Amino acid sequence: MAEVSVRNITKSFGTLKALNDVTMDFPDGGFFGLLGPSGSGKTTLLRTIAGFIFADGGSIRIGEETVENIPVEKRDIGMMFQNYALFPNMSVADNIGFGLRVRKVGVAEERRRIGEALDLVQLSQHGDRKPHQLSGGQRQRVALARAIVTNPRVLLLDEPLSALDKALRVDMQIELKRIQREIGITTIFVTHDQEEALTLSDKIGILKDGAMVQAGDPRAVYHSPVDLFTATFMGEANVLSGDGTAASLLNTPEANISVPQSLKEDAICLVRPESMTVTATKPQDDGQSYLPGVLTQRIFAGAMTTCLVQSGGRTLKVIAKDHDLPEMEAGAAVWVAWKHDQMFSVPRT
Amino acid sequence: MANSVASQDRLRILGLLSPAYLWLTVAIFLPLSAMLYFSFLSDVPFGDTEWRYTSENYRAFFQTSTYAILLWKSLKLALMVTAVSVLIGFPCAYVLAKVIKGRSREALFLLVILPFWSNSLVRIFSWAIVLRGNGVLEIGLNMILPFEVDVNIMFSTPAIVIGLVHSYVPYVILTSYLALQAIDDNLIDAARSMGASKLTILWRLILPLSLPGLLAGAVLIFVPVVGSFMEPRILGGRVGTYFGTVIEDQFVAVYNWPLGAALSFILLAVVLLILAVSSPVLKRAQT
Amino acid sequence: MNGSMLSLAGRIWLALVLVFLYAPILVMAFMSFNASQYYQLPFDFSWKWYQKLATNTEIIDAAIRSVLIALATTVIATVLGTAAALAMFRFEFRGKRFLQVMLFPPIAIPWLITGTAMLIFFYGVGLDRGTSAVLIGHVALALPYVIVVVTARLATFDPTLEEAARSMGASPWMVTRRVTLPWISSGIIAGALFAFAVSFDQFVVSYFLSEPGDSTLPVLIYTAIRKGFTPEINAVSTIIIVISMAVMLLAARFSNFGGER
Repeated sequence: MAEVSVRNITKSFGTLKALNDVTMDFPDGGFFGLLGPSGSGKTTLLRTIAGFIFADGGSIRIGEETVENIPVEKRDIGMMFQNYALFPNMSVADNIGFGLRVRKVGVAEERRRIGEALDLVQLSQHGDRKPHQLSGGQRQRVALARAIVTNPRVLLLDEPLSALDKALRVDMQIELKRIQREIGITTIFVTHDQEEALTLSDKIGILKDGAMVQAGDPRAVYHSPVDLFTATFMGEANVLSGDGTAASLLNTPEANISVPQSLKEDAICLVRPESMTVTATKPQDDGQSYLPGVLTQRIFAGAMTTCLVQSGGRTLKVIAKDHDLPEMEAGAAVWVAWKHDQMFSVPRT
Repeated sequence: MANSVASQDRLRILGLLSPAYLWLTVAIFLPLSAMLYFSFLSDVPFGDTEWRYTSENYRAFFQTSTYAILLWKSLKLALMVTAVSVLIGFPCAYVLAKVIKGRSREALFLLVILPFWSNSLVRIFSWAIVLRGNGVLEIGLNMILPFEVDVNIMFSTPAIVIGLVHSYVPYVILTSYLALQAIDDNLIDAARSMGASKLTILWRLILPLSLPGLLAGAVLIFVPVVGSFMEPRILGGRVGTYFGTVIEDQFVAVYNWPLGAALSFILLAVVLLILAVSSPVLKRAQT
Repeated sequence: MNGSMLSLAGRIWLALVLVFLYAPILVMAFMSFNASQYYQLPFDFSWKWYQKLATNTEIIDAAIRSVLIALATTVIATVLGTAAALAMFRFEFRGKRFLQVMLFPPIAIPWLITGTAMLIFFYGVGLDRGTSAVLIGHVALALPYVIVVVTARLATFDPTLEEAARSMGASPWMVTRRVTLPWISSGIIAGALFAFAVSFDQFVVSYFLSEPGDSTLPVLIYTAIRKGFTPEINAVSTIIIVISMAVMLLAARFSNFGGER
């Protein structure tokens, strides 16, 4: 196990700058998500840490070792691929044992560790199967077992769960987290699914156009994004600024909006939909901000219900539990309310 | 760092590719260049022979009509063989691709193209046995037919055409089959649902869609037949003098290598012209 | 005509084409077992021509030479061709497209031209007609086939398998040996069989490059046919065609040629 440190990494493919001065620390034993839209450079960063790609500049450290000049096969990493990349001509056990055989650990030790790895991913009975005889979820487990059986210093996952359907994906997220905690391996994974990143990560790095936009604790990134891109990429957000200044919010008649003191004059104010609620009557002033509006749509989706409210020329989205909302139809006059401290701001760029 | 990796890659590429391509250069590309050079010499530049640069080998082609007539004869033969092969082969490919279903199709397809990969000289020889006067064909026919027939077509143009069609018809079956197989059966069903007759479907849908494959097969037949010499020699006897056999003679009988080189090069030019004209079609057939 | 009549007519056409393709070969094989030297019927079964063949040292020498040249061609062309196919699969580099196009001339240019050009060039650089000249020519003709067949097989290979092996610490050579080669082995075997067939059946290029009295089997047969042939030639031709068809059936099996499994 080891910490990983990435410093000022740059990489160009022709004229395209895939990574631009990227720096991030991955402390020992943590679970880290690299998140970004496609083409943001997140996969390039992962493959650079792995050693498939050599950076044009910058340094990478795994534990105490500087590795940017070392090819992938000498870096002692474990990697799981998006399509799993299981060797079709080998059994499950031989797939898992491949890295052990490369390291010449001996037949008895090899068998013992394959057994352990199969136990860990709960596939003890499937060692003799060929990959094509397994289900998607089982293949995923084999790929994971294969990546960790050599006790690598770091585990790298490239879109690990994207090939699974939604129900299975949630199960595997829990499973993945359990196994990672159990063996305590530093793990870095790439995903385009922000919910998955939030679920799994101890720390998140957001990339855009090859640059690291923000890195930090998932809550911090979600609630205090550094810019509008991160704010809207991490989750939905209602933009409340009128003409771009915080003061303009106060101009809506009948509205009572408290803008945090820390908020800069030239900023965009946001509130996440789940921080808001809809009421039929005018809310009390006890620490709440509120706006009048007209309910235009009410969409029931089981656990949560989404309301669209028209207010002062903008549409606000509110997500709440169905029983927390008053009984009302589209067209009703309503109030949208939120706690003062739920408003956050990002600089106008 | 990145540079040293790139140079390592470059070494690997070089190490893996150069043996094969050096071999091809020495055995194919340098010889073709040497042939071009030779075709402009008056005599072979070996030993004590006197030689100089000249264009008389090419002038020989244009001044006496003999060679041009033979080239024209070879082109006509190639056209004939190609046409017969297409007429025989395309329906055959259609039956394989669209009529026959299941495992027997695979076996039949293999059976059709298998002779193509066996020794062509031996196959031509087998026709010599069948076609010769008082040969198997004549005896066989006379056993079936109530009247006496005399089938002596050995040493004639039809014999050459039969032998060459036998040699090359699998080409057009192969390429047409691949093209026809790629046509989605739903297209045919769609056309039928709109009331198209079988003939309309064939003419307006199947033929245009499989045309690249058909033409590719035609080119693959035409090109080697223009340069054939063994088949006319064995099956044509005295009537089997073609452009190819004249080139052969320059190298193994007359020993006028520069003239042979010039004639070979003219043949190569014709072949390249055909390939160049048909290359857009061939490219489409590949994809 | 209704549909079933048409399809029946089609099947009959296919059957006739198969008769056309196989009848002369079968007649030739049949006649090699006929005692009469002049292909007289009725048929009188005899091993006589095969027995004669067994004592004909000229034909046996040529046959051995043909097989040895074909084997050498197979080994050289398969190794060189597989290496080249791997390089084109693994690396992106300038001129790759050009190199791929360069495989076309050896296949597409009539062998008469290639053969005579080789004769001129080899003679010019001091390499006389003979076995080495024939071998060099055969390898060059077989190489493109090997490269094309192996490349086709590689196209079905997922390159992330190589990356996965490397991430587990396998050296480039180990990756090739344990992951890539097992996957493409059927393609390599098919390529090797194609190479064998190209060389073993090759007449035109051998004809121009081999020395009289030291020639390959097809060249010997050609000379014999032109002198006036005997059923002995039938016998050896029958053996050749059985061998080359068997080789191609194997190649078809390994390359999945024509199959849609």
